[in-house]
Amino acid sequence: MALDDLGRIVGEANFTKNPAALQEYCEGKGGCVPRALVRPASTEEVQRIVEWANDTRALLVPVSSGPPHIHGGSTPSVEGAVVVDLRRMDKVIRVDKNNRVVIVQPGVTFGHLQTELARQGLSAYLPLLPRPTKSVLASVLEREPILMPSVHFDSTDPLLCAEIVFGTGDRMRTGEAAGPDTLEEQWEIGKAQISPFGPTQMDPQRLVSGAQGTIGIVTWVSLKCRQRSDEARAFFLPSEDLDALVELSYHLCRIRYTGTILLLDRVNLARMAQRTPREIHGLQCALPNWVLFVAYEGYGLLPEEKLKYLEEDLRESASSYGLEPVTDLAGLPGEALYRLLLGPSSQPYWKLRSHGGFRDVFFITTQDKTPYFAKRMRKLARRFGFPTQQLGMYMQPVVQGTSCHLEFNLYFDPTDLTGVKRLRRLEAAAVDRLEREGAFFARPYPGWAEAAYRGYPDTAAMQRKVKAIFDPNWVLNPGKLCFPPGSGRQD
Amino acid sequence: MTWQDFIHDMQRCTRCSYCKYIPWRLIRNFRFSEGCPSAARYHWHAYAAGGKFNLAYSLLQGAIDINDSLLEVVYKCLMDGSCDIACKVQQDLEPLQHMQEFRVECVARGYLLPQHQPYLRSLRAEDNMLLRRREERGYWAEGLEVKRVTSDKAEVVFFAGCRYSYDQDLWPVARAAVHLLQRAGVDVGILGADEACCAGRAYELGYEGELMKFAEHQRDTLATVARTAGVHTLVTACSDCYSTFKVLYDKIGKKSDVEVCHITQYLERLIQEGRLRPRKSLDLNITYHDPCHLGRLGEPWIHWQGREYKPVGTQIWLHDPPKRFRRGTHGVYEPPRNVLKSIPGLELVEMYRTREYAWCCGAGGGVIDAYPDFAQWTAAERLEEAHEVGAEAIVSACPWCKRNFLDTAAITKDRIGIFDLVELVERAVGGSE
Amino acid sequence: MALSEEEHKVLEGIVGPQYITRDPIIMESYCQVWGNKLEFGDKWHRPPAAVLLPGNVEEIQAIVKFCNQAGILFKPFARGFEYVATYLASSRGILLELKRLNRILEIDPKNQHAVVEPFVPVYQLQDAAGKLGFYVGKPGVGYSASCVSLACCHQEMTISQLYTSGYGRNVLGCEWVLPTGDILNLGTANRKGGWFTGDGPGFSLRGILRGRAGANGGHGIITKCSVKLYPWYAKAPSECELKREPGQALSAAQLEKVPDNYWVDVLTFPDTERMLQAARDIGQAEIACLVAPAYMNTGFHEEGNDEQWAKLKESPPDLGKFARMMPVIVNGHSSRELEYRRKAVRAAMEKWGGWLEPEWNTEKVKAQIFQYQMWSTGVPGLRATGDFMLSTQGADGSVEMQLAYRPVEFQALQPFAAAGNVLHPNMGMSYRPMEHFSLGCSGGIATDFDPWDPASLAAGKEYLEIVYDPHGPCRRFGYANRGAMMQVEDVNHIHERWGPIYDRADRWLQKVRNMLDPNRVADWSAYIPPEYQERPDEERHACC
Ligand SMILES: Cc1cc2nc3c(=O)[nH]c(=O)nc-3n(C[C@H](O)[C@H](O)[C@H](O)COP(=O)(O)OP(=O)(O)OC[C@H]3O[C@@H](n4cnc5c(N)ncnc54)[C@H](O)[C@@H]3O)c2cc1C
Repeated sequence: MALDDLGRIVGEANFTKNPAALQEYCEGKGGCVPRALVRPASTEEVQRIVEWANDTRALLVPVSSGPPHIHGGSTPSVEGAVVVDLRRMDKVIRVDKNNRVVIVQPGVTFGHLQTELARQGLSAYLPLLPRPTKSVLASVLEREPILMPSVHFDSTDPLLCAEIVFGTGDRMRTGEAAGPDTLEEQWEIGKAQISPFGPTQMDPQRLVSGAQGTIGIVTWVSLKCRQRSDEARAFFLPSEDLDALVELSYHLCRIRYTGTILLLDRVNLARMAQRTPREIHGLQCALPNWVLFVAYEGYGLLPEEKLKYLEEDLRESASSYGLEPVTDLAGLPGEALYRLLLGPSSQPYWKLRSHGGFRDVFFITTQDKTPYFAKRMRKLARRFGFPTQQLGMYMQPVVQGTSCHLEFNLYFDPTDLTGVKRLRRLEAAAVDRLEREGAFFARPYPGWAEAAYRGYPDTAAMQRKVKAIFDPNWVLNPGKLCFPPGSGRQD
Repeated sequence: MTWQDFIHDMQRCTRCSYCKYIPWRLIRNFRFSEGCPSAARYHWHAYAAGGKFNLAYSLLQGAIDINDSLLEVVYKCLMDGSCDIACKVQQDLEPLQHMQEFRVECVARGYLLPQHQPYLRSLRAEDNMLLRRREERGYWAEGLEVKRVTSDKAEVVFFAGCRYSYDQDLWPVARAAVHLLQRAGVDVGILGADEACCAGRAYELGYEGELMKFAEHQRDTLATVARTAGVHTLVTACSDCYSTFKVLYDKIGKKSDVEVCHITQYLERLIQEGRLRPRKSLDLNITYHDPCHLGRLGEPWIHWQGREYKPVGTQIWLHDPPKRFRRGTHGVYEPPRNVLKSIPGLELVEMYRTREYAWCCGAGGGVIDAYPDFAQWTAAERLEEAHEVGAEAIVSACPWCKRNFLDTAAITKDRIGIFDLVELVERAVGGSE
Repeated sequence: MALSEEEHKVLEGIVGPQYITRDPIIMESYCQVWGNKLEFGDKWHRPPAAVLLPGNVEEIQAIVKFCNQAGILFKPFARGFEYVATYLASSRGILLELKRLNRILEIDPKNQHAVVEPFVPVYQLQDAAGKLGFYVGKPGVGYSASCVSLACCHQEMTISQLYTSGYGRNVLGCEWVLPTGDILNLGTANRKGGWFTGDGPGFSLRGILRGRAGANGGHGIITKCSVKLYPWYAKAPSECELKREPGQALSAAQLEKVPDNYWVDVLTFPDTERMLQAARDIGQAEIACLVAPAYMNTGFHEEGNDEQWAKLKESPPDLGKFARMMPVIVNGHSSRELEYRRKAVRAAMEKWGGWLEPEWNTEKVKAQIFQYQMWSTGVPGLRATGDFMLSTQGADGSVEMQLAYRPVEFQALQPFAAAGNVLHPNMGMSYRPMEHFSLGCSGGIATDFDPWDPASLAAGKEYLEIVYDPHGPCRRFGYANRGAMMQVEDVNHIHERWGPIYDRADRWLQKVRNMLDPNRVADWSAYIPPEYQERPDEERHACC
């Protein structure tokens, strides 16, 4: 079977080998140029593509988001791969208002989803200002942290059920969606694809979360979402003392304080709130070093009383850490920032606004380590001659505060080639050092994987065995995680 | 009831393992959460009451036979009834009665534990379980000016029991008990060398016939002294004897008409009536160890005869007539505490396992004779618990507890004070009144 | 098949002579559990060839490695209350009782987790964590269930799962001795930074650890686990005084008052639908730490069956009403929060036409509900017939699905209940909502039956056959989320029968199983067999 057979599966219009069209897919970190692009429109087409790949021993790279591809999880790591771009599958399959569940295909972006949900008085659980082209499904599968720790019960949240095409071409639906009947037939008896467990004694959806497309191609997911309310309150808790903010964050997580809780430094806050480098610089200078941002909405029962008691509680809690919530900071209204967080970033993507380029270094740790890692990172930046005013930090408590996503953002000018070199060295050194000091690179994107897996040989060995079950011919996204290109087939 | 009559219990035991622990909701310290010394020491499920139901069920079905190994499992059990109490917080089962009947069955089939045989021979030949001669039985009271109910008139007979009669270390307690009664003006006498074993311990080993025989003997003796000496109350300082007279004789229908009191109950009465005044301050931090036979096993017997049935259209097993289970609730718990509380200066702290769910001292069920290391291990656990609650001394109300605590403390070099309640009362009452 | 002398020697050399036994007498106490009658037609299953009490992970590894060499089946268990715990697929199998792994290794109050060994019971952790202001969910099974077996190995359905989650979602890493004897640490378990996540790097191997149900000892041994903790605003259970009247049995020992930072309301509704709608509103408002629709029958137990019966006769409860009643417990870290939440519960009650029955809202009743619903208590429900509480545990999902499912299962149950062969205490399905209702809820019918009563046993079997028939009336509701109740039906058989309509989920699981255990030494009796066996009777049912 030839490459061109793919055209027959998806229709010629959705298949191309044109190098110009392929260029977009290799722009991530360390990307290789694919040899073809196919754009399926249905689960069946995806299955046929995967079967074709098994027959021909071709390599597939599933992609759901539009460019720019930032972390490199969906850029080919090997030459000659076929990109499976799922963006034609862009339906919001169902919004179930009562159960607060939405089912989306891979091509749905946050902007699209929020518009659909808003009609039903709902909102998605969003990560921090995703880029406009970001696929909701991909974000969820990558375990991008959501902003509301109190309802983040498990690292996979808000993922509920999924439809997966494994590397063998077999389809499986997970959780409540598993079993007989089509989705429509399931809805007839009141099923809502809300229960994420199983089926039976395994949780396949956990195997595709954080997998960077190496286990299966996910064709839809159901997600938990929340009610929305126009009544919102938002507060900044500014401080020069990072420890105090961390302590307050811990406290709020522990009491399951509802709503958005995140910790930013001024470098990042300025970039999120302003658009031009000048504005950003101005705000950055006016802001305190660290800000805990807390916001909540009046959904649920007795909204007014809820808003009131939450504010009083927040003030009281904050004061016991010597902190004070304010609604405006350096002319920036908290509510305005909160509104921004309810959707994707506007263009240009906030991380590109100041210098035109950025690199992220992020990992999972515990909140108490934040001050340590922040210091460590600044020290490293200095050592590599990287300006600390261009080093941003974002700490997001996750899984109800049992751990946190800690992210450093390195803003740089991509046209400054020596700067870029320095930056690359800094990134590599940071990943290497921080990992040795306890940072857990749970999402090891290309370039980080070696350090990330260094202390986890048991995990890597088991993941290879799992891969051999679900993708025995290693057709899916070779070169990612602990699956070096070409290594699997001999296994 | 015979062991086979507990088939429903064997079937319905759920393996919840609650029999191994004190009732969970009453656990205050997980270090001291275990209730069954046997399961705690020997690990395997068979050693717990639930495991015994399993073994009996297998035996009933012919899957196993009685052998040495089974005997070991059956006899490495203190018969202290902790399992029974814990089980009945949830279930309508009778683990202790079942274990008792299972021992009876072993004996009936001729499977006798060799270690117990000298004691049985001693009982049969010399009327005591301490391998001593009958003639020596009265020695403990030598020099004590006290009436003999065999020849004198007395309202109360003080029943010493084998341990007090033969254990010279403990004689002072028995003598103090008599003194106290006399001090309070009680018209008390003893049986002296004419006393015989109550056979409660033999019964616990499974020797039903012995209990029957000695129960009859005791009933006759008491009837005689009631008639000839005017005795209307039996007071004993031994908890084993107490529960035998009070509970077991009633169970087998050989109850005497004479009132049966434990010394703690009697002392409580005397103190309440102002006939004894513990005035001397003792200034001691103590904890009270509930003897099993005075506490949960001292609960009066509840006779029940009837049938099990399920009302039509339901799935719930009931009894006709309704059956009240012995849950340990009505054991003797307050009298000893009240007596101790009446002593000035005594600070009473409770251990984590008290009253119905007290941990055994280790001397019960024939273990002290057959498996002394297990008895000592059990006692050591209890002494550790006493230390843990900050007690300087552990006080009990049974010679078997005291004996085992003393022996254990000597081995483990534990310097904790070990007293019988009677001794403290005697000290508090003072030498001259 | 017994172990050879040499094999026994090797194992003895690993754990020491006092921690191994093959005494046939002792073995008899490792093959009888409450549910065996359903599975085997008698309260008995094949005894193990030996039982071992390993003392640490190294010993466990050595045992497992030897099992691989010698071809011996093994199965671990913790407290052993689950009846699949001691059940082995072959008589050449050994049991590892984990009672010597009994430590709470760490409670990290900041990062809200505890690292425990398998023998630590949930009540012990509730107590230790309670002293630091934390809580772990309460499973119906009660005090003694091991935290590890709940979180990683069996089920973890908790009454408080509205707030404390369950079904394995609280696992933040574990140490896992694989069937090969190698160790797999999930996530950050055993690594320098602490046991704070079980996922990654890369995809989460929790996906093969368990699903809705665990592997029931079928894929190795979990030797340590980090579980998430939840806030607790009252004293620890052991610090609270339980009161009883003089002369009352120990089982009457009760909390006298709901703790200050908690509030209990027992709501009654006109019908199930409105009750569930209110439950959903309360759940979605994220205000409650427990909502237990139709869960009134737990906790109100007299000392024994006869006393219970007398009470029932004296004041017959309105069972129909019990099925429409819903205890709600809210907490508040501040008095404001408690006050708001109380009011919000009442608002939901009013919205759905509910009311408070004074009789069920006295201080005493509320305190009792608090005690029974929040803390692990025992399972007096087992006392009725002294054996098994037959429960089908309907599918998990939305309120709408639960309402659609209810009549289907009731119809299946009705003839047996009407004949009195299964007792259905409140003719209601009870529901356990999950994570503020964001994962729907589990529904279950709890029925008492009596395996020693031939009519009741037959009814139980027939009833199960109906609800577990992949071609029967429950087909559309599925079995996937019935994993929990895999013990009332032979698990292997469930996989075999239902796999074909579940995208061959059974085949994937089987591949995972065989990958984990190439030498087939991990017991699969309550997991999935390496391959399906020929069954003498294709329609064989667990209850046969
Ligand atoms: C009356 C009753 C009610 C119940 N209600 C509930 C309920 O509401 N919610 C709920 O979740 N469950 C319930 N259960 C089931 C209960 O969860 C299990 O019984 C629970 O796991 C008991 O804990 P255990 O320590 O006794 O487990 P065990 O019986 O020791 O083990 C349970 C299973 O886990 C395996 N296992 C145990 N430890 C390990 C380990 N370390 N590594 C690998 N495998 C292991 C065993 O092989 C076994 O298959 C109920 C059970 C009963 C008897």
